[in-house]
Amino acid sequence: MEAAISSILFCLFAAIAVLSAFGVVASRNPVNSAMCMAVSFASTAAVLFCMGAQFLGIVQIIVYAGAILVLFLFVVMMLDVKSEERNLSSLPRAIVGVIIAGIFAGMVTKVALLLPGAADSKCPIKALCCCDYDATSCPAVPEGELSGAELPALAENQNDVKSLGATLFSQYNIPFVILSFALLAGTVGAVALGRKIRKD
Amino acid sequence: MEHNVLASILADCSEGACGGMWFYLIVTILKLVLVFAVILAFVVLSVWIERRVAGWIQDRPGPNRAGIPLHLFQRFGSKEKQPCKKLLHFFGIPETCWIAKLFRWLRLDREIPTFGLMQPCLDGAKLFLKQELTPSYVRKVYFTLAPMLVLGPPLVAAAVIPFASGFSTPFGDVNMCVANLGIGPLWIFAISGLSVYGLTLAGWSSNSKYPFLGGLRATAQLISYEVAMGLSIIPLLMMFGTLNLQNIVQYQADNGWTLLPLWGEGLTWERWFMMLPMLISFVVFVTCVFAEANRTPFDMAECETDLVGGYHSEYSSMKFASFFMGEYAAMVIGSALVVTLFLGGWSIGFGADAALHAWCDWFAVICQFAMFLIKLVAFIFFFVWVRWTLPRFRWDQVMKLGWLVFLEVTVANIFLTAAIIYFIN
Repeated sequence: MEAAISSILFCLFAAIAVLSAFGVVASRNPVNSAMCMAVSFASTAAVLFCMGAQFLGIVQIIVYAGAILVLFLFVVMMLDVKSEERNLSSLPRAIVGVIIAGIFAGMVTKVALLLPGAADSKCPIKALCCCDYDATSCPAVPEGELSGAELPALAENQNDVKSLGATLFSQYNIPFVILSFALLAGTVGAVALGRKIRKD
Repeated sequence: MEHNVLASILADCSEGACGGMWFYLIVTILKLVLVFAVILAFVVLSVWIERRVAGWIQDRPGPNRAGIPLHLFQRFGSKEKQPCKKLLHFFGIPETCWIAKLFRWLRLDREIPTFGLMQPCLDGAKLFLKQELTPSYVRKVYFTLAPMLVLGPPLVAAAVIPFASGFSTPFGDVNMCVANLGIGPLWIFAISGLSVYGLTLAGWSSNSKYPFLGGLRATAQLISYEVAMGLSIIPLLMMFGTLNLQNIVQYQADNGWTLLPLWGEGLTWERWFMMLPMLISFVVFVTCVFAEANRTPFDMAECETDLVGGYHSEYSSMKFASFFMGEYAAMVIGSALVVTLFLGGWSIGFGADAALHAWCDWFAVICQFAMFLIKLVAFIFFFVWVRWTLPRFRWDQVMKLGWLVFLEVTVANIFLTAAIIYFIN
């Protein structure tokens, strides 16, 4: 039942995420767009929760919905919303947008197809991201075992954070450090730009 | 995939009808109701504590009336004019005796006393019945949405706080925590961080000057202090090695509370060296909880002297009450988190938990629940005490404290903890 419930919730939240992402583009008022984006982020986090990736889901909420988007809203609200209401986009703009969106969609599809168990339609959603079920054992797992009596595994599922940390700080340590330096440079740059320049 | 979903639902409906699944569902719903009731009751109780303690600190009685008047019973047919006096006569106690004086001091001759506990309930009833006024110039959708976004998150965030240890029944084990997630404190940060939307949108949608300024201040303050708050608990997590709140409390029950390591492993030198970073974390975290709950000395967003009423200036009736309750609910959740992380959560301490569990599971759980509530009340008292003792900060002081003091202190604290763990272990 747990697998069934999380599948239903997955479909529901995925639909909400896609619809509200559409709302971001479609709505004319920037505040509406920002709020749609918040809903989209929150439902993406919910999708991650359904897949058992609790840590990623919560980080999505903390970082994107809780901090970055609030700053978006902050800036948008400071502007005069009436004059900022967008006019209909022109054709060249639309073409550029379609190309960029297409590239991203292609990348995501490629990554999704490379995931273990992606080709097997019977494989549960959880298997795509959790290391509990690896690719080779996936087709061998009988249906009954996945649908019932999985509750203790759900309650004790805390290796999520540990495995992520172990991977990040061992296998991907150098990219991680480089990214941190990029962020540090960004922060220092923001402080330098935001500082008041004294004339004296 | 739909086929998969349907098949597994059908399989469960047939096989799981008598399994542990239903037990799990029912227990979870019961725990949800319990947590919800406790939080809402504590919102009311903390309003009462606030008023009474404020009165005590300012040397005035505070709301001590709101009893149930005895003439109400007379109206409903009771013929006793002064039941208290008759009772005294019945036992032959003279009116000058200390018992009679005590009765009069408790106002028992006029009413059934509630010590002012009815006051918050009556306030709530008043707010329900008041006229609701929505100004014509507001942005209606967001104006209505904002109070919900303030009151909702703290109630959801309470799901991960453990309020007692577990016990086992013939049907399965019960863990006294609604959602025993592996990401406990992060869940609370994330969900209660969402209430910033409520404040921002309330300020913006009111479409008027002071609420807007209040909303901006609230957003800036909450975001600034979230950073320090998140960083300040990292030393704790390094010590516990887990993010699960139930496990953290279990560890504290076995090996001494974070700030009171007096039994179990807590007697080792290492834990006493760890007290320094833990104390720094405690001070920073508690201050951040104050800032996140928007309470004096950090109530910049609704500071009457410069902003009328801040982001909720334009609100009236139950919408205003939602903001009010949201603030108190955030305070209760903040206190619960501080108690859970630093003061041992539900644990009774000094090894009493294990002894009680060995004797009787049920009794242990009830004692632990009571202990948790006692600690919660004590911390709420502390909250109120600080509010009526310290004056409000200036806005630039608040920002400076957040970004120039707490951020640096917490980062240094992480390195200090790492050094202690590395060199002393």
